[in-house]
Amino acid sequence: MRQFILWICGGSKVDRRYLGVLGLIALVTLGLPVLGLGPLANTPLGLDGFQVNLVGQVMAFALLAMAHDLVWGYAGYLSLGHGLFFAIGGYLIGMHMIKLSYAGETGVPTFLDYMGLTEFPAYWGGFEHFGYAFIAILVLSALVSFVIGFLAFRSRVVGVYFAILSQAFVYVSMLVMSRSDTGFGGNNGIADFQTLLGLSLGSIEFRVAIATVSALVLMIALIGLRRLTTGPLGKLLIGIRDDEDRLQVLGYETLWVKTGVWCLSAMLAAIAGLLYVPQIQVASPQLLSPIFSIEIAVWVAIGGRGYLYGAIIGAILVNIVKFWLTRFMPELWPFILTGSVLFVVVVLRNGLIDPGPLFTRAKALLPRRLKREKT
Amino acid sequence: MHVLVGTVCSGKLFFVHNKGQVMRRRSLNMPGAIVRVCALLFLAASSAVAQPVSEPWDMAQVVKVWCSGDRDARIASFQSLLEDVVEADGPARQWAANLIVQYRDGNLSCAQDTGYIPAGDQFLDVVTGNLVEVIPDDAATPFLNIPLRRALSPFASAVQLVAAEAPENRLRAAQGLARTLGDVPPTLIERIYQQEQNNQVAAVLEGVLVPALLGSGDADAQLRAINTLAGNATRKSRATLDNFLAQEPAALSGPVRTAAESARSSVHWVIQVSEAMTVAYHGLSYGSVLFLAALGLAIIFGLMGVINLAQAEFVMLGSYATWFVQEALRALAPGLLEFYLFIAIPFAFLVPALVGAFMEWSIVRHLYTRPLLTLLATWAVSLLLINLVRVTVGTQNLSFLTPEYLKSGFTVFGEFSVTWSRLLSIFFAGITLIGTLFVLYRTRFGLRMRATTQHRQMAGCVGVSTRRTDAMAFAFGSGLAGIAGLALSTIYNVNPTMGTSLIIDSFIVVVLGGVGSVLGTALAALGIGQLNAIIEPLYGAVASKVIVLLAVILFIQQKPNGLFPRKGRR
Repeated sequence: MRQFILWICGGSKVDRRYLGVLGLIALVTLGLPVLGLGPLANTPLGLDGFQVNLVGQVMAFALLAMAHDLVWGYAGYLSLGHGLFFAIGGYLIGMHMIKLSYAGETGVPTFLDYMGLTEFPAYWGGFEHFGYAFIAILVLSALVSFVIGFLAFRSRVVGVYFAILSQAFVYVSMLVMSRSDTGFGGNNGIADFQTLLGLSLGSIEFRVAIATVSALVLMIALIGLRRLTTGPLGKLLIGIRDDEDRLQVLGYETLWVKTGVWCLSAMLAAIAGLLYVPQIQVASPQLLSPIFSIEIAVWVAIGGRGYLYGAIIGAILVNIVKFWLTRFMPELWPFILTGSVLFVVVVLRNGLIDPGPLFTRAKALLPRRLKREKT
Repeated sequence: MHVLVGTVCSGKLFFVHNKGQVMRRRSLNMPGAIVRVCALLFLAASSAVAQPVSEPWDMAQVVKVWCSGDRDARIASFQSLLEDVVEADGPARQWAANLIVQYRDGNLSCAQDTGYIPAGDQFLDVVTGNLVEVIPDDAATPFLNIPLRRALSPFASAVQLVAAEAPENRLRAAQGLARTLGDVPPTLIERIYQQEQNNQVAAVLEGVLVPALLGSGDADAQLRAINTLAGNATRKSRATLDNFLAQEPAALSGPVRTAAESARSSVHWVIQVSEAMTVAYHGLSYGSVLFLAALGLAIIFGLMGVINLAQAEFVMLGSYATWFVQEALRALAPGLLEFYLFIAIPFAFLVPALVGAFMEWSIVRHLYTRPLLTLLATWAVSLLLINLVRVTVGTQNLSFLTPEYLKSGFTVFGEFSVTWSRLLSIFFAGITLIGTLFVLYRTRFGLRMRATTQHRQMAGCVGVSTRRTDAMAFAFGSGLAGIAGLALSTIYNVNPTMGTSLIIDSFIVVVLGGVGSVLGTALAALGIGQLNAIIEPLYGAVASKVIVLLAVILFIQQKPNGLFPRKGRR
């Protein structure tokens, strides 16, 4: 048993907080079918479709945040453009569902009709098969991230440069996708999905299923990434974050490590998009809005970067508060978000997962550093 | 005949009294209908007396043709009337113009050997010039069918063009002619064109005349038209010449073709040059906006390595400060309202500068070692500013007064014209560039700033208070953004989210220009502005953003540190 736990923890030590988060996700994975579909469904404890949906969306966001943390927390590259990969997953799975609902029929959705097309363009071919769509999502996200990552890392774009550059990419993609003649419904995006893998999107069965799958994927990804980051690759990444020059002098070709991790993160983000879009039933340029991409970084910063489970906690907390506030006090939400970002960034600089700076605040804050520089 | 008029109008005292003036022009404000009737009579009389009555002025004949002649006869009559009108002087013109307009409007009633037009509550016998109370029972309005009406209206327009006093009436007539020239001979239009004094009317007439002359088949007329076109280098002239040259060769005589070709090439050249100038000007205008927005960003980034994502919101604050100054002036000193843009300069600078200083003091200085977290913190501040403004002022676009002196523009060359409000933003950019260079290179603060930018520890060693320099530079950069907001206020939509699209563009400018280099920022802003201005008309705004981004990414593959990399160790 201990062997198994150690395998899960991926190191020689047992990490209780990590195991706690993992246990929480496992609980969600098991609890969703029981509370949403099982015998408890119609009791006060049970969850209705809306609540199941919320849990599922939060799980998808947590996966996205973890993918982001892999790049920011470990390799030290802040991406403000992860929404791009998230949207790739979302749009492609949307294409799959649309194509599926038109299988065996003639005619095209309105947004293609608007462009004057009477049948699906060639690049829609094969999207009626889920397997094809899934592989397309992985390949396309890997390809796009490879081009961006390779170009950026090769010319040694670092720090804020990289952050803004990734933001520029997502911004430009949003502009492109907002145009009606791009072929993806413009500002409204693509919607009117019917079924996915044989289940109707509106049914409670589907909602429970996709939320459970989201939690399951999150759990598997967490274990996988944990083992990856506690292994040699994780050491290499932290080395890149802390002193890349030294690593290069030691003979490591950091370009390929960075590019590889960046692509892995992008593919995970795309999978998160795949899980997210069937739950909200629309893929629109909203996914590509720069603010959403910055929010991803905010989840990670608030939860705690450099710990995979920190990103998960951040995503879950922020999104629960957001769902709750935007429902009851929408005006207040931006102020709360601003306040919590400033609080975390200035006071709790390692995120909620590490409350240390809160207690050593007097020492950590300005006066001492000022004095040191002056003398 | 004078006597006749006298008797007819003798009951109306003021006519006799004002006779001379009526003779001069109709511009007098005399009691309407009666004066017009009397004037009409008088004009008819005087024209009949002053000059020999030519064939169409034989009113009986004219009325006969107009009432019952066939279509060709009527058109011939219109034409000869028009010819005479062009030759005639004032009074005769008025008379003919009134007659033809009344005819067009269906007010002429035909009776036995004569016709009547309404004159006040009476009727005027056009042949005898007598006023009658009632018209004979058998008088009937001649039926004008649609082809005839169509043929008539150009003549009516042409006559009005000659006779009407008010330029706006002539303009309307010319525009009527511009729709169709019908059977009006181009040579007559040319005569009218030569007599025309008003530029606007002449311009419209030119548009009528030139195609007519070109189509007339007469080499002299064609040459004259080509000359007119060559003197007026517009897109329309070029199209006209192109169409003219596209005819089959046989239709054109040698000299005409040569003249048309040389005129076409000169017009084409002028258009090309003015098009290039327009693109360059648009690029300059957009580039100056980018420069203003990016300058503060570049200074702060160069000094502290911090990207201030709230920079765009400082632009917004600058615009709002300008708006508040405008509203305050409207309430307190309306006389100065025209100059609010200049009065607002210190406010547009100080408000963002103070907010920036506060932000630096409360947030940014705790994060100098962690630039990525600063990015998030400044983003949070930008979100806060947007929502504060949204809650306090509202989300609607602010309305800015455009001062009279900024409303128009002037034509520089060919079709290239310049608007004052855009010129003002370029002017602000230039002043800001000079001012910033002055601050950087001619003041102690600038010296400290440059020293800290070059080598923070070394500057600290020789006694520069780097923290205070940082704080001041942050405030200075924020204030520059405010100036950008001021310059934008008359040419952009000002609302709480106006900055969001600006920040990425400005950052790209900073990356391209090289961190912390003022001249690099200026050059990069102008370059990106030009690129945008060239691409946007061809492929659209989105494509221009995509292409600019890709171009910049390819550029930094070659020069990772921008156009003007920072010298020295890092």
